[in-house]
Formats: sequence, structure tokens, C-alpha cells
Amino acid sequence: MPASTLTRTQPPRDLPNRVVAVGNGALWRELVALLEEDAPDTAFLRRAFALFCRGAHATEAAFYRQEKDPNTLHRFCSHGSGEFPEDLSEESLTGETLTAYRPVPLPQGVLLLPATAHEPEAECALLAAALQLQELRARVKRQSFRAKYRGVELEALYDVGLAITRTLELTQLTDEILSRAVSLLDARRGALYQLQGENYQLRQAIGGSAAPRVTAQNEDVAALLRTGRSPQPVEAPEPTDPDLASTLLASARFLAAVPIELDDQPWGLLVVGDKEHRHGVGPFSAADHRTLGLFGHHAAIAIANAQLHQQALEKERLERDMELAAEIQRQLLPEVIPDVPEYALGGWNRPARQVGGDYYDIRPLEDDRLLLVLGDVTGKGMPAALLVSTLHSALRLMVPRLALGPEFLRRLNEHLLEISPVNKFITLVLVDLDIARGRLRYLNAGHNPALLLRRDGAVEALPAGGPPLGLLPDSSYRTAEYAMGVGDLLCLYSDGLTEATTPDDEEFGTERLAQLLDAHRQDTPAAIRATLETTLHRFTAGQPQGDDQTLILLRRDR
Amino acid sequence: MTESLKLSVDRRDNFAVIYTEGYINNQGGEEIAEIAYGLIDEGQKVLLLNLAGTKIVNSIGISILIEIIERMIAIKGKLAFCSLTPTIEKTFHIMGLAQYAGIYPDEDAAAAGLAE
Repeated sequence: MPASTLTRTQPPRDLPNRVVAVGNGALWRELVALLEEDAPDTAFLRRAFALFCRGAHATEAAFYRQEKDPNTLHRFCSHGSGEFPEDLSEESLTGETLTAYRPVPLPQGVLLLPATAHEPEAECALLAAALQLQELRARVKRQSFRAKYRGVELEALYDVGLAITRTLELTQLTDEILSRAVSLLDARRGALYQLQGENYQLRQAIGGSAAPRVTAQNEDVAALLRTGRSPQPVEAPEPTDPDLASTLLASARFLAAVPIELDDQPWGLLVVGDKEHRHGVGPFSAADHRTLGLFGHHAAIAIANAQLHQQALEKERLERDMELAAEIQRQLLPEVIPDVPEYALGGWNRPARQVGGDYYDIRPLEDDRLLLVLGDVTGKGMPAALLVSTLHSALRLMVPRLALGPEFLRRLNEHLLEISPVNKFITLVLVDLDIARGRLRYLNAGHNPALLLRRDGAVEALPAGGPPLGLLPDSSYRTAEYAMGVGDLLCLYSDGLTEATTPDDEEFGTERLAQLLDAHRQDTPAAIRATLETTLHRFTAGQPQGDDQTLILLRRDR
Repeated sequence: MTESLKLSVDRRDNFAVIYTEGYINNQGGEEIAEIAYGLIDEGQKVLLLNLAGTKIVNSIGISILIEIIERMIAIKGKLAFCSLTPTIEKTFHIMGLAQYAGIYPDEDAAAAGLAE
């Protein structure tokens, strides 16, 4: 018997004539009724065989069909007391071992009948016809299954497209993409890697273990990806290099992979292994590679969206934090400027960002005294604001307990040196005013000289009496005392005012500030501040404010 | 990380429940079929497949589930599914499984439906 015997399924070409000729109508009607039941393959075979045995009055018969091993036919059902072998091989069909039986090839298998018996030719033909019809119906069912599954594939691609807009959590998203790719490609296993530094790190795996990391420079991986990136991927029937296959997916024999790229930059790797068939695994087809490429493209868009969403959330959170910090910092500044009889007083702060590095305070002290504080932390934004908060706390604790003098600043310097980061320091000016006598005790740690505009138009720049705070250990400070007469105006300010620049980088400067103060010295502090603001806006030609601006004005009116 | 399919069986008064956990592919489907056919051989005519632990099914797995449905129809029994993910439920509808097997949101609903 030729080698094709095991798979020959075609019934004799003259079957219809022979069916009509034999006239075994009863068996045919029973087989047709069985076909109409649409029973599963195995049930149909058993019952068709039973009908054949009865119709043909066969005392012994067995039906063999191919199962998992393509070189062997396995006994599927038998009738009578004959000792039919369990399996039939090519040799047993062609050799002398089957002398007691005669094989009759049929669609879906081989019928064994006793060699001595008369062959029920007509009934065999009817059985062959019924099996052939069943086979055709099974083929139609398979085609229908594939057509329906194509619908599932299209739905899946559509769903993954939708997930791009819906799923913004990265792990959930990559899990969805990997699951869909593995199931749609009928892969036995799969993994998704993310590039981190020099390696692809495993994010998720399905269907077994996968390498925790793969070097991005791996030549074999690069070659595998080239296959996936080709616009017309070629069929690759050969198993993937075993080393590479086991490098990526444990136990895999066939691989397909696609890179995930965001803005032409590698982000990761989507790998599937072993295309499943009913009786094993095989390579992925060109269509599979194209589908996988589509998934890689979808994945890239989805991941980019998710990352943008994460960044937006992070930005929103930071903005909320900054707003909260700004609110906290606003609470560090005086809510109300105290009303000091015989003096006009005002204080303002305008940070360049939401939070700033400038600080001021105006508070009455015991013994009819008034404290004015203005400080400036190096830098801007959150780091400067944190040090402002530290300064505020330290002053609140120290002012009631220590006399305002050189020792006060020395201790404050030591405290700030301990807790402030390197390269962060504070310039600070402190004024302790004896309200009734108009006497100023003046402490300046590296800050811009305060301006004292005398009634007669003279301007005194009150110099610093020591270095900034938090800069150098063992710093020493001096106290200066000044008398404030009626009509004198004291101005404490931060360098954000005097260092405001024109578009040509010309600074506003202390001189312009002093001139403006002198020109408007009779105005209320609020009016002077408003004039200064308008002037600065004009001077800077409306450029964004470059630094925090803080101002305290104190004029003795009587 | 999803490993091979894990299965367990709970025999109730009127039906048996097969719980799956993992990927229903060729291997997983064959394991389900083996258990289902064993239950049928025991005389069970009503089976419920609870897929709460399964997130993925491929086409080979589906074809095996169809074979189990056909076997149940052949013995005039009933097969139902419950606790499907939306993706799997949609797939079962497209593939026509829903025409021959009940699909229920959870085990209680399935028990009530199978008792009718």
C-alpha cells in the first residue's frame, strides 16, 4: 500500500452510481438521518460505524483513524470478537502482519475487515460517502470558525484602539496589549519588556517564565526585531535559534517580536512564542508578524498617551502642592500691618513664582517697640520657600527670648548653618524701633543697605554689619543705631526691586529707588508702593518678574 | 505572571462546576476537556465552567470548548459559563458559543438558570 494510504480520504469517483446500484436504501437513510443530527465528529464516527456493521451484517470490523501521530492509525472503534491491533503503522498495512484482515481506505481512516469475508462493497461505499459528507461539513465548520474568529481579531484590534483612549494606567495597559497579542496570535506564551538603560527589563509575561532582562545590544534580538519590522515579513518556518528562544521565553521554539518605539526612540519589546495548533506548535505566519506589528504600533501610541497622562497628573499634583505651599507661605507673612501711632507703615511681598525666597515680618514688641524684618534666601521657588519657613520658625522662637543684637544673629547663623543645605544662605535685615523715641537698632546680615531718607532730602544707605546667615561659621555681627526724625522715611527692600531690568539688562538700581521714594515721600506707604510698581512695570517693559520683590516702608509723621 | 491552567471541580447536587485559573489555550483546553469528559462519564449531564480566574482564551481553546459543548448536546446535557471577563464574553458571543451554552454573570445566577 502506498505511503499516502494513511491520509487518503477521497471516496471512489463512481460512488453515486454505486450507491444507487446497491440499493441498500435502509442503511443510506439511517446514515443521512445521522448526518442531519449534526453530531460531533467522534460521536458520528462511532454511530456510523455501528450502522455500517449492522447494515453490512459484519461479524467483525474495526475503524482506525489518525490521531496525534501522523504515522500511525489508532483503533477508534471495533465490532465483534476479532483481535484487532490497537495501532496500524505503514509497515503493518503493507507487510504480512495483517494477513487475517483486509484494509479498506475510507475518508478519515481505514476500515479493517476479516480477509476471509466477502467485502460488503456497497455498504463500504455508503459509509465512505457519509464520512465524506461529514468531512465536508467539518471543513465548512472550520471555515466558519475561522471567519468568526476573524471577527474576534477585528474586535480585539478595535478594543485595543479604544483602550488607547480609555486605559491610562501603564501596567493595566501593557497587560491588556500583551494578553490580546498572545491570545489573538494563538501564541502559547508571550512577554513585554521595557528598555531601562542598557537592558530590556521584563514587565509582564504570559504562559510561563521569561528572561528577567535582555541586553539591548543583543544581536539576535536585533535580527528578530528586523523580521518583525519588515513591511513584508517573510514566513520563518524554521525554529528560532534555540539559544535566543530560551533567552527570551523559556521553552519556546518559535518566536515573533516587535519593537515598541515612542517618537522613534526604543521603549520596549513585545515578544510572542510558539504558534499553537491543535496538535502542537509551529512558526508564526507573515500575517501573524503583521498583526504583531500592528499591536506594537498600538502599544506605542497607548503607552505614549499613558505617559503623557501620568506627566499631566504629576504636574497637576505639583501645582496643587505649590499652591498649598504658597498658601502656607502667605500665612508666614503678616496678615495685618499693625497700626503704629505717629508712624505710617506698610509692607508687601510679591514672589516671582508661586512661592518665593523673600520674607518679611512686622510685629509690635514689648516696651513700645516695633520689629521690622526683611530677609532674602538665595534662589527661588520651593527650596528657597522651605528655608524661609525655617527662618520664620527660628525668629518666632528666638525673638521673645533673646535680645536683638549681635548674639541674636550669631545664634541664628549657627542654627541655619546646621540645617540649611550647602550653597543656601539668607540675607537679613532686622530693625528694632523704639516707637516713642524714634530710635532704630539696626542689624544687617549681608542684606542690601536699608535706605533712610532724611526730611531734608539726604539719603543714608545703612550698611551691613556682618555676612549673610547660614554661609560661614563663627560669623560676627555689629549693631548700629540711628535716630529717626519726624518726616524721615525708612525703606527696607529686597534686591528683586533694585535688580529689575530693562530688556537691555539695565538695572533699576538703588538710586532710582531713592529718587522715587523722595519724590513721593509724602504719599501713603500704599500709594508709594503702587507708584513703585507702576514705575517698575514701565521700566521693565512688562517683562516677567525675575525675582521676588519685598518692601517695608516706615515714615515718622510726628 | 500567568502559568499553565489550574483546574478544580466542585460537584453540586444537580451539576458540577469546573473552576479555571489561567490561559485557556491548546493545553488548557485539553485539560478542561479531560475533566469535563470524565464528569460526563460519571453521569454528570450539567456542567458549569466558572472562568473567573481566566483572562485569556485563544482560538484553539475556544475550539475545544465547542467540542465539549457538542459532546454535551450529544448526551442531551447542558453546559454553561459564568464569571467571564467582558472580552471573553464578547468573544463567546461572536464565536457562537452563547447560542448553545448559557452565559451567566456569576455562579448564583448560573445555578438558578441551570435549575430551570
